[in-house]
Amino acid sequence: MRRLARLAPLAPLARIVPLLLFVAAWHLVGVAGLVDPAFLPPPGRVAVALVDLLRGGQIGDNIAVTLLRAFTGLALGATAGVWIGVMMARSEVFDAYAAPLVGATYSLPKSALVPLFILWFGIGSTTAICATFLACLLPVVVNTHHGVATTPKVLVWSAQAMGFSDREMLGRVFLMHALPDIMTGLRIALGFSFVLAISSEMIAANSGIGKLIFMYGENGTYDYMFAAITSVVAVAFSADRALLAVTHRILRWHDSAVPAADAA
Amino acid sequence: MSRHDPLWLRVRSVASVVVVLAAWEAVARAGLVPPLFLPAFSTVVVTLWGVIRDGSLPEDLAISLGRAAGGLTLATLAGVLVGIAMARNRVAHWLLDPFVALGFPSPKIAFLPIFILWFGIGSLSKILLVGFACVFPVAIGTYAAARGINRVLIWSGRSLGASAGVLLGRVVLPACAPRIFAAMRVALPVALITTFTAEMVGGGGGMGATLMYSQRFFESPVVFAYLLVMLAVGLVLDTTMRRLQARSPVLRGDA
Amino acid sequence: MRPAGTVSDAKIEIRGLSKSYSTGHGSLLAIDTVDLTLAEGEFVSIVGPSGCGKSTLLYVVGGFLSADGDVLVDGTPIRGPGTDRGIVFQDYALFPWLTVRRNILFGLERRDVPQAERDAVADRLIGVIGLKGFEHRYPRELSGGMRQRVAIARTMACDPAVLLLDEPFGALDAQTREMMQDELLRIWLDTRKTVLMITHDVSEAVYLSNRICIMSARPGRIVEEFSVDLDRTLPREELVVSEPFNRLRNAVWLSVRRQAVAAAHADPG
Repeated sequence: MRRLARLAPLAPLARIVPLLLFVAAWHLVGVAGLVDPAFLPPPGRVAVALVDLLRGGQIGDNIAVTLLRAFTGLALGATAGVWIGVMMARSEVFDAYAAPLVGATYSLPKSALVPLFILWFGIGSTTAICATFLACLLPVVVNTHHGVATTPKVLVWSAQAMGFSDREMLGRVFLMHALPDIMTGLRIALGFSFVLAISSEMIAANSGIGKLIFMYGENGTYDYMFAAITSVVAVAFSADRALLAVTHRILRWHDSAVPAADAA
Repeated sequence: MSRHDPLWLRVRSVASVVVVLAAWEAVARAGLVPPLFLPAFSTVVVTLWGVIRDGSLPEDLAISLGRAAGGLTLATLAGVLVGIAMARNRVAHWLLDPFVALGFPSPKIAFLPIFILWFGIGSLSKILLVGFACVFPVAIGTYAAARGINRVLIWSGRSLGASAGVLLGRVVLPACAPRIFAAMRVALPVALITTFTAEMVGGGGGMGATLMYSQRFFESPVVFAYLLVMLAVGLVLDTTMRRLQARSPVLRGDA
Repeated sequence: MRPAGTVSDAKIEIRGLSKSYSTGHGSLLAIDTVDLTLAEGEFVSIVGPSGCGKSTLLYVVGGFLSADGDVLVDGTPIRGPGTDRGIVFQDYALFPWLTVRRNILFGLERRDVPQAERDAVADRLIGVIGLKGFEHRYPRELSGGMRQRVAIARTMACDPAVLLLDEPFGALDAQTREMMQDELLRIWLDTRKTVLMITHDVSEAVYLSNRICIMSARPGRIVEEFSVDLDRTLPREELVVSEPFNRLRNAVWLSVRRQAVAAAHADPG
């Protein structure tokens, strides 16, 4: 046990080893001639392509466009989602009107709306942002609603006995109690925002990392395609970890400071 | 009748859907929007009936549902395997954890061109991509469930002389069943969205491909008809899974 | 030192209070025409079998639930919750996202209290409850006893004229409970607030109150009253083994038991 404890600072390194093994296997498969390099460009060539794309700015520019679309949709969706979720939890009448609409659209695969938005808004950022917005909206609505609706009565009563009105309690009690749930919804929405931004770029767009990946696939420049996909994985992973770190920080007071979704 | 009477609230719920549909019909009929952008609801219903009668919609639906179901099945098998292996074996955990951590938050749809490159534009590439997209939530759900199993349960099984295989089938899997099913409920919309998107981008038939095709040829009523069907499919499948979970003690976790 | 029933004026008057819930099969009477008057500075406990609606009665007085009949504070009917009535719940009801200090100051947030005064209030109350050094901890980092002390301090910070206590020490272990009872007694002697306490602990009621009301099982009715006239100059160890304390304790206990037995007969299963 003591030896293990001394190795603890090396833990992040130990997590990288399997990834290195994977890259080595990928390389060996190519060297051994098991697969046609046209179908699986060796990792060395993908790395060269990645450096080339980073230097040339193609990845930077296109990811910036994709991130702008994803985060605009996410920000709009989260803002509207928190508002709708609060309204649904606090007003039975609003809930009666909104619940069937939320229920019906919750299970609609949002990317299916992209063709419709193309029809309405043409090809471009508006379409991608609208699709992202709708996809991010619903998980935030559902989670905020749950968080606000499960606020313990005794907390509400305590605040009432200290003279707080419903309006004053919104930010001090209801939203604070819902914060862990809102962060869970936000994490789901963050994942959706990437999926929807990239999907809509693949379906129809003139720019963005989704478009870039798709273009290299059509052209048959597969080493560049792999490089672009690698960059997407890296960005999505970093964004998720950043959100987790923020969540961890603002939920210091919470029993499970790390959300359950962090099982991996 | 009070404002908050349950029956009255249900009336409001139905009303909100009716109001949306009526507003749609009215806006379209009044010519406020060109029919290309928003065909009337009645037109869409007629079109829907048409594509059902000529067999094109049922065929597309069967293709898409087959792909989604195939991918989800693959993902469940692989995800349960990975999840239990990670929970019960330290080497497996060390080896697989970085891939799950990296794969879970990444937008799997970005891998579509790779799947098309390797497996063509037919059903195989789509089923495999759906499997790839869904395997992560299932693996994480199973892992969390298998890690949470009461150790006493396993010890008592061992002390009664149960072999590893019996233990897995009689103790581990039943104990994990509710969480695995819950993870499948999470994975279901992922399977649908991945299927439809892959079909929209890569073609090869199915609901997504026809939707895209109709949009390109400005057949708006067909676009709306297919959207309505997709919405209904998601709703029906999710409701079915929820009912299943509520009915079955094994899936509910109080067996 | 604490003469029973020092009636200066009626602080709280409960008149003909009934509360029924509508269930799937009609309505269920939880409280049946309760009349109760608390004098200014009086400490009254309500004891009864579980499910007799004693907490419901407290929530009605708090203004959180509505009911038939009247509740008057200082002769004025209440309209909902108010800052004149502070409440302490069994499960503390602290805001988990606020530190000890911010929890205590929560009620002053919406009042026009200068910063210096707020700091003074916080420092004084943190001292009173003995949690110096824990000001910046979150509730989840505290033990049950510490949390309940913070809850009491939070209520005291608002300086309500009436304290409503809903089984305040029910979730604590025996030793912590006794310590907290002594602390509450000290605070009450210092401030002389009017207290209405719900409890199922007979010894606690006898130890703390001026008056004890026994409530019957559903529908809750006040069936018996005991006034407590004990020599409070005695320290706890002597008081609880004294003859008058135990005679009263047994009498109250038998009364509660009669109600519990009656309830078991009325509702077998």
